[in-house]
Amino acid sequence: MTKKKAGISRRDFLKTSAALGAGAMLGPAIARDAFAASRDRITIYHSSVADSLHPYRHSSSPIYGNWQHIMEPLVEYDYKRKDYVGILAESWEYQGKRWVFHLKKGIKFHNGATLTSKDVAFSIDRMRDEKGGSLQAPNFKDVTEVQTPDDQTVIFVTKQPLAVFLDRLENRFILSKAAADKHGDQMDQNPIGTGPYKYVSYQRGGNFVFTRNDDYWGGKADIKEVVFRKVTEDAARLAALESGQADLINNVPVHEVARLQRHPRVNVERIEGLRMFFLAFNVAHKPFDNKLVRQAVNYSVDGPAIIKNIFDGIGYSINGPVGSNVLGADPKLKRYPYDPQKAKELLAQAGYPNGCDVQLYYSAGRYPKDTEVCQVVAAQMVKGGFRVELISQEWAIFWETTGVNGGKLPFYYIGRGSLTDADTLYDQYFRTGTTKRSNFSNPEIDKLVEEQQKTPDMKKRTAILQQAGKIIMEEAPFVPLYNLADIYGVAKNVNWKLRPDEKVLVWDMKIR
Amino acid sequence: MVRLRYLKILLGGWILVLLVVCGLAAPFLAPFDPQEQRLESRLQPPTWMGGKSTSSWLGTDNLGRDILSRIIYGSRISLLVGATTVILAGLIGCFLGAIAGYFGHGTDEVVTKITEIFLAFPFLLLAIALMAFLGQGVINIILALMMSRWVQYCRVVRGEVLSLKERDFVTAAKALGGKDFYVLLKHVVPNTFASVTVIATFAMAIVIISEASLSFLGLGVPASIPTWGSMLSEGRSYMNRAPWLTIFPGLAIFITVFGINLLGDGLRDILDPKLRRQA
Repeated sequence: MTKKKAGISRRDFLKTSAALGAGAMLGPAIARDAFAASRDRITIYHSSVADSLHPYRHSSSPIYGNWQHIMEPLVEYDYKRKDYVGILAESWEYQGKRWVFHLKKGIKFHNGATLTSKDVAFSIDRMRDEKGGSLQAPNFKDVTEVQTPDDQTVIFVTKQPLAVFLDRLENRFILSKAAADKHGDQMDQNPIGTGPYKYVSYQRGGNFVFTRNDDYWGGKADIKEVVFRKVTEDAARLAALESGQADLINNVPVHEVARLQRHPRVNVERIEGLRMFFLAFNVAHKPFDNKLVRQAVNYSVDGPAIIKNIFDGIGYSINGPVGSNVLGADPKLKRYPYDPQKAKELLAQAGYPNGCDVQLYYSAGRYPKDTEVCQVVAAQMVKGGFRVELISQEWAIFWETTGVNGGKLPFYYIGRGSLTDADTLYDQYFRTGTTKRSNFSNPEIDKLVEEQQKTPDMKKRTAILQQAGKIIMEEAPFVPLYNLADIYGVAKNVNWKLRPDEKVLVWDMKIR
Repeated sequence: MVRLRYLKILLGGWILVLLVVCGLAAPFLAPFDPQEQRLESRLQPPTWMGGKSTSSWLGTDNLGRDILSRIIYGSRISLLVGATTVILAGLIGCFLGAIAGYFGHGTDEVVTKITEIFLAFPFLLLAIALMAFLGQGVINIILALMMSRWVQYCRVVRGEVLSLKERDFVTAAKALGGKDFYVLLKHVVPNTFASVTVIATFAMAIVIISEASLSFLGLGVPASIPTWGSMLSEGRSYMNRAPWLTIFPGLAIFITVFGINLLGDGLRDILDPKLRRQA
């Protein structure tokens, strides 16, 4: 009556696991040195790479960065000058309900054709074609017509004066109409732009490969071939960099930085990111309808201590309502100092002499070290006289109409990404009625936000935004905390300038 | 053979007793408040590994909290969730299993179909889905685990009752005029206790691991309550730098589950009639 057991026995299982485990530990020891293997090719492992060959079926910064090798925009935001510069456009004029662009002369596509206004109109049409798969149509929701009076001129007619239109034109890349006409329904397999690199091949979830455009109008790039590969697992990207498979990776986790810095052939480089982290109040909920309570929270949270202890000092404290890398930042503003005693006094004034119960919502795992951050915030607030309950929710429940965007959460930890312009934040969070995220309403702020959206002059606009920022700091509808760093790991012989917008652009890189 | 059996029960039992004592006397045993953050002395290694803090025997975690204190307090959640879930799931499972087995026909059909539906879901996946829906909380985690654990009791009890109800003593009880529920409660159900006890001990081990897994995934109890699972989860990113963050809660889970499994194994050896005969 002896029965043979089916499947794998416990002993075999243990033996196999031990063997596999030993193999896994040996792996890194026999890996090759990390060093860009070739001067002619750079291999980039990135957590976000184009998911399709449709040139407009995406709207995220790193993927714009992929496409920007092949095709180019009319204008681009220059983070140094804090203003827009022309790429394909030579000059532009804002005429109330019209934006007139004059194209640079003599720019050639990869197929030899010359860039004309027809190509621009054709590309914009494809961007607006939501049924055709474009995710970039909302940028043109205020545009009624695109006119092409001659080969060098493009005119955008808008419903109302739209001073912030240049922002909408950023990352709107121009394709060749002639190439599209020639290839018909195969046009996406043959992307032809004016960029410094030409398309070579693409596999979904595999490599996205470009080769240098030797006839580029803006001067030849240094590196001949570019390979982008999508690798979402942090550990896998790290391993690839350390073993020399990849020359550049993004999103190095903070806690791996110290170890990676000791690696003989890898540099860790970082730049202040554009995702701003803050604690938001919804003023429709008690006790946050009271300004004094909101200020008390500001006094009791010590942002710099969080950066120092949770992020190993790799973070950038925010002074004022937006970070210093954002248009509209005011260098004169200061963050609320850490002063739990003052917080207690304010709470008492607000009618909570015995402390105040609040719930802090967050979505565990969404942002780096979010659970740790919220635990520290809770402990800090206790010293300021609050009693804090932490509640983590699934992202969908947290973010959608059941949560933040339904105005249901009174107090939450959040990061706003790709923030280059204070207008975005003020409009979305603090202008009456745009969203329910804070239910904050202040007629002065509404007026200022509306006014700056009509102002084309960057200096004037900045001044108005700074004025709004001052009121926001006083009213304290949120607790601005910090920007984190975008951290890259790069082979030591690769020379490049980091950008704050998560794009990895190869044409000004060099391999020594 | 017999000695080994009792040794298992003894060892497992002691581990369980130790755990219960830890849980009940946590405020007296723990050297620190488990939530007290001392950011300036974060990631301190255990005393015997050269840690600066002489009072933190097992070191401090990423927020400077005392790991030993957190492990001691963490035993409360493991025990509470483990015991409550096992008892509640046991009550529901036994009740449904008993009536299904005893009354048969339609009742049996309905109960069996329900258990099959629940069995069709992978256990942990069902618990994850329920937690995502219910949100964090001790009561929610007990509910979610209970919903996915009662089925096993139900199947076993139903099977036992099916055979028990044909036995002479049941017929005799009925012949003496016993009402259905009286016979069921007085004569049938008590005879299933042996198997139920064994299932319960093993289930407790599974539940403790599941609670740790859910907490690890951030779906368990709120971050303000220390649990072994969330300690593992938080310590995971510091594996290279501060392995004691994960080793000790991991050991705590391991020893607890090992002890309960030993106890269950020993109990089964004694209570299972088939194994008893072999001895």
